[in-house]
Amino acid sequence: MKDLRHFIGQLEQNEELMRIKKEVDWDIELGAISRRVYDQYGPCLWFEKIKDYPQGYTVINGECGTWRRVAIAMGLDANTPLREIYEEYEKRIEGRLQPNIVDRKAAPCKENVFIGEQADIYRLPAPLIHEGDGGRYIGTWDAVITKDPETNWTNWGMYRFMIHNQNFLAGWPQTTSQFAMMLNEKYVPKNQPMPVALVIGSHPLDHMVATAPMRPGVNEAEVAGSLRGEPVDLVKCETSDIMVPANAEIIIEGEIPTDAIVPDGPFGEYPGFRSGTMAEGVAFRIKAITHRNNPILSMTALGAPVDDSSIAASLTAAVGMKLGLQRRGIDVTDVYVPPEGVTHLVIVGVKTGGIEVTKKVLDFFIARRVMVSKVIVVDKDVDVFDMKQWIHAFATKCHPGRSIVVEHFVGKSNALTPCYDAEERRILKGAFAAFDATWPLEWPKENIPPRATFKEIYSQETQDKVLAKWHEYGF
Amino acid sequence: MPKEYLTYVRKYADLYEGERDIFIKDLTPGPRKYDTKQVRAVIARSAKDLSGADTLWVRSEMGVLDPQPWAIKILKELPDYVKGRPYTDVFSCMNR
Repeated sequence: MKDLRHFIGQLEQNEELMRIKKEVDWDIELGAISRRVYDQYGPCLWFEKIKDYPQGYTVINGECGTWRRVAIAMGLDANTPLREIYEEYEKRIEGRLQPNIVDRKAAPCKENVFIGEQADIYRLPAPLIHEGDGGRYIGTWDAVITKDPETNWTNWGMYRFMIHNQNFLAGWPQTTSQFAMMLNEKYVPKNQPMPVALVIGSHPLDHMVATAPMRPGVNEAEVAGSLRGEPVDLVKCETSDIMVPANAEIIIEGEIPTDAIVPDGPFGEYPGFRSGTMAEGVAFRIKAITHRNNPILSMTALGAPVDDSSIAASLTAAVGMKLGLQRRGIDVTDVYVPPEGVTHLVIVGVKTGGIEVTKKVLDFFIARRVMVSKVIVVDKDVDVFDMKQWIHAFATKCHPGRSIVVEHFVGKSNALTPCYDAEERRILKGAFAAFDATWPLEWPKENIPPRATFKEIYSQETQDKVLAKWHEYGF
Repeated sequence: MPKEYLTYVRKYADLYEGERDIFIKDLTPGPRKYDTKQVRAVIARSAKDLSGADTLWVRSEMGVLDPQPWAIKILKELPDYVKGRPYTDVFSCMNR
């Protein structure tokens, strides 16, 4: 599967896509339809006629909004069980596939090239997604590419960007993000603008990689290749040496000046609320726009789960956390980030529990930026992918007086966490709670309460006896 | 017909009458709706206090609309952006 267009074909074959041929207004209506369809667990939507825009300028919402669509993007059967999707993803992101560098003549994203004053951002049907948003967010399901000028490391990240005006976008990659760190550490001290490329409508797995918490130095184009199972075709930007996916629908090239700021937000964000800071945006000076013929603008009408963001982060963040915990020597069985918890809640299964292990898990989560606010640690016999099991463990095994560990901090919390007040968001003040839902290690084995399920509280002999007569009982 | 604009404030109480620099979004329907510019303008709580003024709608930091619009008279257009280091507060920089 080379690109978004092939993926759309796969979605249609699996009855996961709905084409909307009726004209839809980019101003609120398109977002409202998309949000309602998320709320109803509906299909991916392809809006084929947008008000004020010529035929052929279309918008797609929700391409990875369900596990079925993620499985299809990975080339798996649409009904692949969740645990298998996690296992396959974990296996693939450990691999690396060198990208192909292609000539610009062979790059579909160069079918239309507009440089300088010719680059009119308003030729693209960017939606005003939620009523009350601070602007038209053209970058939601995107990949924002920046490059370290000293090491040449290229970072892919998913960050929101809205249209400010003809000349600028406004964005707000959080101050703890790799984007902000690269800007503040490598470009601001030299007073050099940071080149940037905003990629829209690439292969869905490219966008998944952009959401993944990769360590600095990891080449995300190589990871995307491994995830896709074939190398990513890359092509050089028109106005910088940043390399972008050649088959992407739209590329917006520009730079981030170190002496200019523009207001960003507010925006209905991934935690499911319009929370977060406003008016602390970075200015993205537009230098060029290139796009395919009949460009497809990919987006996600972010909000209350489940949507593309909560699904993507559920997978990419969880596997990143699992590998990070293992690097810290914690004997992890599985990590699950339930989409309903919008990466604020994480379930960690461990081979050996106890409060000390839970404290080590907490230390991992608060080491750098703290995007999560709650973790539940469960024993290995709890299937973290089964919400019934971990809710039961949390409700019954977590002692309210001695199994909850809380840490407070300033300067590294998630400014989008809705329960933080305005002042906390501005200074990145927050807290993290770890809930130990494992049995205390010091309890004698014979004093540990057995779980009262058929498979656990009855002897094998009793189970065999009952199962042998099962039909005789009349079942 | 007066034109309509939109601005954002952290709190409604942050907006005061008189001359000030402000970012406004043009609400004229069409493909350039919400285009943003920074202007020096006189604003008033009511159109009755500012003859010939345009309409200025106000939303809060959370995007909540003040049901009663203000009035605005643009004096001049300013640069697209405010001078400042990325990640500093635009409002604070404008008030310097």
